[in-house]
Amino acid sequence: MQDKNKLTGTPVSRIDGIAKVTGKAAYSTDYPVKNLAYAVLFKSTIAAGTIRSIDTAAAEKAPGVLAIITHQNAPKLNVDGGIRGGALLQSPEIEFHGQHIGLVVAETFEQARHAAHLISVTYDRKEPKADFEKLMKNASVPKDKDKADAKRGDVKAALREAEIKVEEVYETPIEHHHPLEPHATIAEWTGDRVTLYNSSQIVNGAQTAAAKTLNIKPEQVRIVTPYIGGGFGSKGGQWANLVLTAVAARQVNRPVKLALTRQQMVNSVGLRQRNHQKVSLAATKDGKLTALAHETTTHGAIKNEFIEPCGDCSKIMYDTPNSLITYRIVPMNVILPTYTRGPGKSTGSFALESAMDELAHKLKMDPIELRLKNEPERDPSNGKPWSSRTTVQCLQVGAKAFGWDRRKPEPGQNQQGNYLIGYGVSCGTYPAHQRPTSAIVKLKRTGNDVMATVELAAADLGTGTYTILAQTAADALGLPLNQVKVVIGDSDLPPAAGAVGSVGASSYANAVNDACQKITDELLARSGKQFFARPTASQLMLSEKLTDFQTRIDAKPLESAEEYSAHSFNANFAEVAVNRFTGMVRVNRFLAVTGAGTILNPKTARSQIIGGNIWGIGMALTEESVVDPRWGNFVTRSFADYHVPANLDIGAMEAIFIREDDQKANRMGIKGIGEVGIVGVAAAVANAIFNATGKRIRELPITPDKLL
Amino acid sequence: MRPFTYTRAKDPAAATQALAGNPTARFLAGGTNLIDLMKEDVERPTALVDITNLSLAEIKPITAGASKGGLSIGGLGKNTEAANHPLVRQHYPLLSQAILAGASGQIRNMATNGGNLLQRTRCPYFYEVSMPCNKRAPGSGCGALEGINRLHAIFGWSEKCVAVYPSDMAIALAALDAVVRVRTASGQERSIPFADFHRLPGNTPEQDTNLAHGELITAIDLPQNRFADRSYYLKVRDRASYAFALLSVAAALEVSETGNRIVQARIAMGGVAHKPWRALTAEKMLIGQEATPANFKRAADAEMAAAQPLEHNKFKVELGNRSIVLALQMALNGGKA
Repeated sequence: MQDKNKLTGTPVSRIDGIAKVTGKAAYSTDYPVKNLAYAVLFKSTIAAGTIRSIDTAAAEKAPGVLAIITHQNAPKLNVDGGIRGGALLQSPEIEFHGQHIGLVVAETFEQARHAAHLISVTYDRKEPKADFEKLMKNASVPKDKDKADAKRGDVKAALREAEIKVEEVYETPIEHHHPLEPHATIAEWTGDRVTLYNSSQIVNGAQTAAAKTLNIKPEQVRIVTPYIGGGFGSKGGQWANLVLTAVAARQVNRPVKLALTRQQMVNSVGLRQRNHQKVSLAATKDGKLTALAHETTTHGAIKNEFIEPCGDCSKIMYDTPNSLITYRIVPMNVILPTYTRGPGKSTGSFALESAMDELAHKLKMDPIELRLKNEPERDPSNGKPWSSRTTVQCLQVGAKAFGWDRRKPEPGQNQQGNYLIGYGVSCGTYPAHQRPTSAIVKLKRTGNDVMATVELAAADLGTGTYTILAQTAADALGLPLNQVKVVIGDSDLPPAAGAVGSVGASSYANAVNDACQKITDELLARSGKQFFARPTASQLMLSEKLTDFQTRIDAKPLESAEEYSAHSFNANFAEVAVNRFTGMVRVNRFLAVTGAGTILNPKTARSQIIGGNIWGIGMALTEESVVDPRWGNFVTRSFADYHVPANLDIGAMEAIFIREDDQKANRMGIKGIGEVGIVGVAAAVANAIFNATGKRIRELPITPDKLL
Repeated sequence: MRPFTYTRAKDPAAATQALAGNPTARFLAGGTNLIDLMKEDVERPTALVDITNLSLAEIKPITAGASKGGLSIGGLGKNTEAANHPLVRQHYPLLSQAILAGASGQIRNMATNGGNLLQRTRCPYFYEVSMPCNKRAPGSGCGALEGINRLHAIFGWSEKCVAVYPSDMAIALAALDAVVRVRTASGQERSIPFADFHRLPGNTPEQDTNLAHGELITAIDLPQNRFADRSYYLKVRDRASYAFALLSVAAALEVSETGNRIVQARIAMGGVAHKPWRALTAEKMLIGQEATPANFKRAADAEMAAAQPLEHNKFKVELGNRSIVLALQMALNGGKA
C-alpha cells in the first residue's frame, strides 16, 4: 500500500524530462557515430508477383553511391530468425505493395535518395489479394492453437430460446501505430560484433532476432535503445529494416544509418489488422446474459498468420453459462499484422461493449445496471478466482464523478443549439503478468553520500520507466531520488522483459525492488549485527564504511500468481456533441476509471491512460488505413491522410485510479496500464453517439458521412 | 528528391526572367507544398528561384481603379498575417475564417497568399508516383475515377481527373469575387478574375490554373462589399483541425435594411470540384427572397441537384445540401449558431 514517506505512489515529474525537452536525450539516429554512410530503401510498386529485373546501372554511377543491395546480391539470411514481416531481400517474390526490394547506400542521405529514383524495376505482376470484403468469404480456421474455437455450454440453443437477443456485426479498419519517431537504425560493426542503435520495446528480443537472422551468435549483437519515441507494438517485434542496416554496414565496411520515412511506415513495420466481428448476445427479460458469442474474421499476410485476440474481453467480462469464441483468417497481400496497443482487446471491446449497449437499449435498462447484473464472481474462462476485480468500483466511481445521472436514457433527446449531446459508457480489461527480469544494483559511497545505480535491459517507450524505477529503488534503498541512476535500454545489461503487453512496470519494478531488498539483506549479513528496525542499504553502506557494493537478481513472478486470474479493469465514460447538420463529432469530456493495482507514479500513469484514451478516440472517430483493392497499396500514407486526433479534437480528459493492493498478482501489486487505457474507449464514444443521435454505427471510424 | 539549383531573386523582374528561359524552373515561396511534393518525387524542378525576398507582402487599402475602396493583399504575405490583419478581420472576416480553417499554425506561418492559391490537389493517386494519375503523368490514367474517391469531386470532373482543389482561403476568395494580380514574364501586369484563375480538369488536368509559366502573383485584390456582418466559412472535415475539407462552404449575405430580404448572396464550395465552386444557381435563387431556412433549403436543393457523385462520395450531395443551409444560417446570424 502507498506510504506517505515513500516516493512510489507520488506524482514525481519524469527524471528524463529535461533531457528530452532540451534535445539531450539521444534517440536511435542521434548517436554521433563517425564516418556514417546513409541507406535509403526502395520498395515494390506491385502487391503480388515476381521481380523480373532490376536495373541499377544509372544509380551505381550516381555521385556518392557506395552500394546497392537487392535480392540478387544480398547475403543469405535466416528468414525464420524472428524478424517479422519478411522483406529481407532473399527472393524476387513480392507479397505486398511497398515490400522492400533493395537499398542504396551512399555518402549522404540526399545522394542515396536520389540514386534510389534512378533504379528501374520490372515485374511479372499477379492479381493481388487485397479486397478483404471479398476475401473474407474464404477465411478458414487458423493454425494458431490459441485461436481454436473455445466453446462453453450451448450458445446456439441459448440464442434460439432467448427472450432478448442482439446479433450484430462490427467492423474495424486497418490501423497503423505511427509512433512519432519512425523506425530508424544505426549499425556499426567492430570486428564480428555489431552494435545496433535501434528503438526496441524488447531489447533482448531484438538482439536474438537480429543475431539469428544474420546467422551470428546473440553475443555478437548489441542493441542500444535508451530512449524510444513511441512504439505501440510496432517496435516490439523487429522488422527487416533493422537487419538490412547491419547488412549494409558490413557491405560498405562502415557505419550505416537507415531511417524510415512516414510514408514508408505503412508497409514496413506491421499494422493492426482489419476485423469483422459478429457478436451475439442472448439475455433474459431482466437482463441476465444466457449466451455470448464473439466470432472474428480477419486476415494475415500471404505466408504468415497473426491474429489479434478480439474475443479476449468476451471470454472474461461477463457471467454467462454459454460462450463461444472463434477466429477465422484469410491470407492477404499486405504486410504482416502485429501487436497494436490493446491488441484484440481494444478492437474486440468495441464489438462487445457496443453490443452490450444495444442489449441495454432493447431491455430499456441502464447500461451500467446491465453490466452490474452480469458481473462474474470468478474468471468464466478458467474458473480461477480473480486476484482482484474492480469493474463494479470503476463503474460506480465513474458514474458519480461523470454525472451519469444527467444522461437521458432515450436517444436524441438532448439538443443544444446545432448539437446533439450524448453520454456513453463501456468497460475494458487487460491481463496483468510479471515476466522474468534480471537486474543489478550497485552502491557507491563517497564520504557521506551513497549513490545507487540500477541496471537492466528494460525499455522506456516514453511512458516513464526511468522515473518509476528510480522511485522504486530510492524507496527500497533509503535514498533520495537524485541519488539513484537508472541505466536501461542496452542488451549488454542483465536481460529483462519487454515493454510490451503491460508487463514492463510489474516486471521491471519488482526486479529492481527484489534486487534492492537482496542487497540490503547481503549488507545486513555482512555487518553481522542485529538491528531493532531493519536499516536501509544506504545506512548500511555508511555504518559499514563500504565504498562499493553490488548484487544481481534474477527475479521471477510469484508461483502462486498462476492460481489467480489477474487483470487490470476500467470503465470509460464519454460525452459527445454531434453537429446535427454536418455529422462532425466532438468528444466534450472523457473519463477513464482504472483499477490497475499499485500506481507507482500517478502523474506518468495519468499521461499513459489519457494517451490510450486519445488513441481510442482516434480509433472511434478518425483513424483508418485504406487499401485500394486493385493494387493493394495504402492510399493513406501520411498524417495528412491518416487522421490521428489533433489537439482540437480532444476535450476535457480525466483519469481516476481505484486504490487497490493486489499482492496476489505480484509482490508489488502492479498490474499495468499501458494497454488497458485504450480498451473500451471506442465503444464508449460510439455508445455516446447512439445516445446523442439514435444512430448505431457499427463500422469504425465514425466519420461525419456515417452520421448524415 | 532530385538535384536542383537554388537561387534567390532580388526583384520581381529578376524572378520572372529566371523562370522565362527554363520550363522546369519553379518559384519557391513558403515551400509548404512544393518541398513536400519534391520529397515525394511528384514535383521534379531542375531549378528553384527563391522569391521570399521580394517586397510583395503588404496589405493595403486600394485607392484607385476598379477595386477602389477594397483591400490589396500581397502575394508574398504570410497566411497568418493575412488572417489576423485588422482590416481583413474587420471588412473580410470570411477570408480570415477560411485561412484559419486551413492547415496548422506552423504551416500558415510559412505559407504565402499567392502560394496558397497554387496548392496542388491532395489526391492520394497524385501523391504516389507508382499510381496512375493524369495530373502528375498525363496519359497514365486516373487512379481515383474508379478507386478510393471518398474525398473527390462531385461537380465539374472529367474522365481524366476527379481530384479536388484543397485550399480553404481560395474558397472565401471565390465568394468575395477577388482579383488575382499577376506580373507576366515580359514584365506586364495583368488581372485575373478569381472565377477564371483555376481550371476544371477537362482533357488537361495537369494544368491547375490559367497562370502561364513564369508569371508571378503580386497581389490579391478584394473589392469592397457589404458582407462583413453576415458571412461564415463552414468546413466539414474528418477531424477538428489539420484536415482537408470533406466539403466546405463560404457563405455571405447582404440583406435589406428593412426586413429580411436578400439583396446579394455569395456561396462558394470547397472539396467538391477541381476549382472553388461558385454555387451560382443557389445564389440567383436567393436574391430578392426572404432569408429563411426554407428558402436556403430550396436554393441548396437546386444547386446540389446538378451534382454527379462518384462511388465513394455520394454522401457529399446530402452533406453539401445541409452545409449550404447551415452556412447561410450562420452567416445570417453573424456567425453565431
